Amino acid sequence: MKLAVVVQRYGPAINGGAELHARYVAEHLARHAEVEVLTTCATDYVSWRNELPADVEMINGVSVRRFRVRQERDTTDFGRRSDHVFKLPHSIADELAWLDSEGPASPSLVRFINRNASRYDYFFFFSYRYYHAYHGPRAAPSRAVLVPTAERDDAIGLSIFPAIFRGVRAIMYNSPEERAMIEAIAANQQVPSVVVGIGSEVPANPQPGRFRQKFNIRGPFAVYVGRIDENKGCRELFEAFLEYVRSESTRLTLVLIGNSMLPIPEHPRIRHLGFLDDGDKFDAIAGSELLVMPSYFESLSMVALEAWALGRPVLANARCDVLKGQSIRSNAGLYYETRAEFVETLRALESNRWLSVALGRNGRQFFREHYDWPVIERKYLDMMARLANEPAGPGIEPLPGWLARRRRDRPAAREVAAALAAGPVVRSEPPRMVDTTQSQTPTRPAPPPAQRRSGAERDHGDRRRRGWQARPQARRQRPGGA
Amino acid sequence: MPDFNVRSDSVNVEQIMDQIRARIREKRGVDYTEQEVRELAAVKLEKFLDPRGVRSDLLEQFRKKESAETSQPLPNYEFTDQTLYETHRAPIRWIRQLLNPLLKLFFNPNPLIQALHIQSQLNTMTVERDAARRGLVQLQYEVLHNLVLETTRLGIEVKNLKMRVESLTGRLEFNERRARALESVVVYKSPDERERGGGGGRAPHAEPPVPRAEPPAPRSEAATQPAAPPAETSEGPGQRSRRRRRRRGRRGGGLASTIMGGPQAPATSAPEADAVREAVGDHGTAAESIEREMAADSTSGPETDDLGPGEE
Repeated sequence: MKLAVVVQRYGPAINGGAELHARYVAEHLARHAEVEVLTTCATDYVSWRNELPADVEMINGVSVRRFRVRQERDTTDFGRRSDHVFKLPHSIADELAWLDSEGPASPSLVRFINRNASRYDYFFFFSYRYYHAYHGPRAAPSRAVLVPTAERDDAIGLSIFPAIFRGVRAIMYNSPEERAMIEAIAANQQVPSVVVGIGSEVPANPQPGRFRQKFNIRGPFAVYVGRIDENKGCRELFEAFLEYVRSESTRLTLVLIGNSMLPIPEHPRIRHLGFLDDGDKFDAIAGSELLVMPSYFESLSMVALEAWALGRPVLANARCDVLKGQSIRSNAGLYYETRAEFVETLRALESNRWLSVALGRNGRQFFREHYDWPVIERKYLDMMARLANEPAGPGIEPLPGWLARRRRDRPAAREVAAALAAGPVVRSEPPRMVDTTQSQTPTRPAPPPAQRRSGAERDHGDRRRRGWQARPQARRQRPGGA
Repeated sequence: MPDFNVRSDSVNVEQIMDQIRARIREKRGVDYTEQEVRELAAVKLEKFLDPRGVRSDLLEQFRKKESAETSQPLPNYEFTDQTLYETHRAPIRWIRQLLNPLLKLFFNPNPLIQALHIQSQLNTMTVERDAARRGLVQLQYEVLHNLVLETTRLGIEVKNLKMRVESLTGRLEFNERRARALESVVVYKSPDERERGGGGGRAPHAEPPVPRAEPPAPRSEAATQPAAPPAETSEGPGQRSRRRRRRRGRRGGGLASTIMGGPQAPATSAPEADAVREAVGDHGTAAESIEREMAADSTSGPETDDLGPGEE
C-alpha cells in the first residue's frame, strides 16, 4: 500500500499544529505502508517563500517531495480579500481568489497529484483551508482522505469548502466538535468519517526534579505551553492569574513555555522560560500542578493531551468548544468562562489535592483509550480497510459555470459561521455502522442546511441526525431578562 | 478547605463546575460572561439605558449601512487629452488624429477636455474623502459601541456592588452586635479580688458570678457609700474612658462632694475606708449593687449607666 500525506509545510523544525500532526501521522503510518509526503518548498507560514529546494529528501525515514510555491503571499491583498469574503456578500470567484491569495499556491503539486494519482492508494490532505487541500482532492477525488483540522473561524463559512467535505472519500476528524461543525455546514453525514485526533510521544519517566533544578523553580506551579500570543488568550490569562494572586493566599507560580509575541507582566509569580525542547517541556508538565489552556480556537490541543498523558489536570478556556468538550468527556479538566471562574477553578485545583489527582488519573485513562498511538494507527488502518471494501462516491461537485461563479450571492462567511450551532459535544461518540447500501447507490448530496433551514431548525435537526448530543452553550438565567 | 463537595470517587467535571459557579454567584452576585454582556448590550439596552437615546439594534443597523455603502463602489474614469480620440483600433485612432485639425474648425474640444479632466480629479478626491469619512464613521461606531458595552457592563457592576454593599452592611451590623455582646461578658477582677476570690469570699446570695467590667470604686468612696452600685454590667470603651477620667479627677482633688463641701462628704481617710470595707464585706455590697444596677439598666437605658453611684 502506498500513501501520500499532502500538507502545506513539512520538516522537523516546523512545529505548527497541522504540520506536526501530519508529520506524526506520516511517520507512524510509515510502519504499516509506504508513505510519501507531498509538500511545498515553503517554511514560513506568513510569506510562503520558497526556502527549500524542490527535491526529494528523507526525513525520519519518510520520503518528502517538495514543490515550488507560485507566488509569495501579499499580506495586504490577502487581508483585503479576507475582509471582503468574511464580512460582505460576495461571489464564488471572490472565494477562489481569496484561496489563491492565502497560499501556498502550488499548481505543480496539484499537477503531480493529477498525473500520479494511480501510483498511490490514498492521499491524506491536511488543513482544509489551504490551496493544496482544495485543488488536491479535485485532482484525485476517489483517493482523497481529508484531515480538516478545522477551527471555528470565519473560513469555515466560505461556500467553496462544503463541496470538498461532501466529495472526499473519507474524513479523519480531530474532535467530535469539529465533526459536528463540518456536518452542520456541509451535510456530509454520508461520507465515511472517524474522530481520530493525534497521539504524542510522551516519555515514560519524566524528570520534574531536573526541570526544577535547571530553571530554579520552587514551589507549586501551573504551566502554559505554546505561543504566547493575544490570539491564544494569553493576555486574559495574565490578568486573571494576577487577580488570583492578589485575591488568594496562594503559592502558585505561572510558568510560561514558548515564544512570546506579547509583553509579559513583570511579576515574581510569572516566569517565562522561552522555547524549550520536548524533554524539558514534558518534565515541566509532569512537575506542574496543572496545565492552563487559555486558547479560544483549537481543533485539538496536543499539549492538553500530553498533560493528560502525564496525569496532570487541565484548566481550559470554556469559550473553546473543543477544549470544553474534551474536559467534560474525559472528566479530566475544569474550564472557565470568566475571570471569577478562573480564580475559583484554579483555587479548587490548587487547594484540593484529591480533586487534582482524580482529574489527572482520568486524563491518563482518557489519553490511553483515545489518543495512544496504537489506537490512532488502528483507526487510520481501519478506515483504509473500510474504504477498500466500499465503492467510491460520485466525487466532488463541479464548480458552477463562469457566470454563476461571478454572481454575488454568497453570504458573508462570518455570518454563516456565526449561525452554526455551538457548544461542546458532551458524550462520547457511539460506534457508527456503515450503511453500505447507501454507499453503493450514491445520490447527489443535499445542499447545505444553511440554505434550507433556519438556525434553530438546523441545530435541532443536526443534533438529532448526529445521534449524540451537542449541547448548545448554556445560558444562565438573568434577573429581569426576558 | 474546598468549598465544594466531591464525595464519590468518580469525578464529574460538570457537577464540580456547577458547584463552583454557585459559589461564585453567592460571593459576587450574578456574573455575566463577555458574550452575555454583548448580548445584553445589543438586545436588552432598554433595561439599562434610555431607549430613546440609543438604538438597541445598533450593530445591525451599522452593518446594513456599511454593506450598502461598500458594496457599490463609485465609478470613475481617467480623462486625458487623448481620451477623446482613443480606440483599440489603430487605423481609426490614426484617422481621428489626422482629422483633428478639421474638427477644430467646427469647435474647440480643449475646454471640454479640461472640464472632464477636472471632473475626473474631483471624482477621485470625492472617493478618497468618502473613504476617509467611512473610516471615521467606523471609528465613531466603534467608540459608540464600546461605550454602550461599557455602560452595560458598568450597570451590571453597579448592581453587583450594591448587592455587595448590602451584604457588607449586614455583616457590619452583625459584627457590631457581636462586639457589644462580647464586651458585656468580659469580667474584670483586680489583683486583690483575685486573691480573695481564691478563698471563696463571695457573698452567699450572689449565686451566679456577676460580671464586672469596672475595677472597684476608690476606697474612700467605697468606704463612705458601701451600698452604692459599683459598676455597670455592660459598657462601651467610651464609657470606660469617661469613667477613668472621672476617677482621675477624684484621685487628684479628692471626692467631688468633699471638694464641693456637700453634706455627705466623708470625713474618713483612705486607710480608714479600707478598714470599713473589710468590716462591711465589700463583695456582698458589690453584688447587691450590681443586681440593682442591672434592674436599672433594663428600665433606664444606656445613658443612666454612665452615672456612677452617688453621682446622680
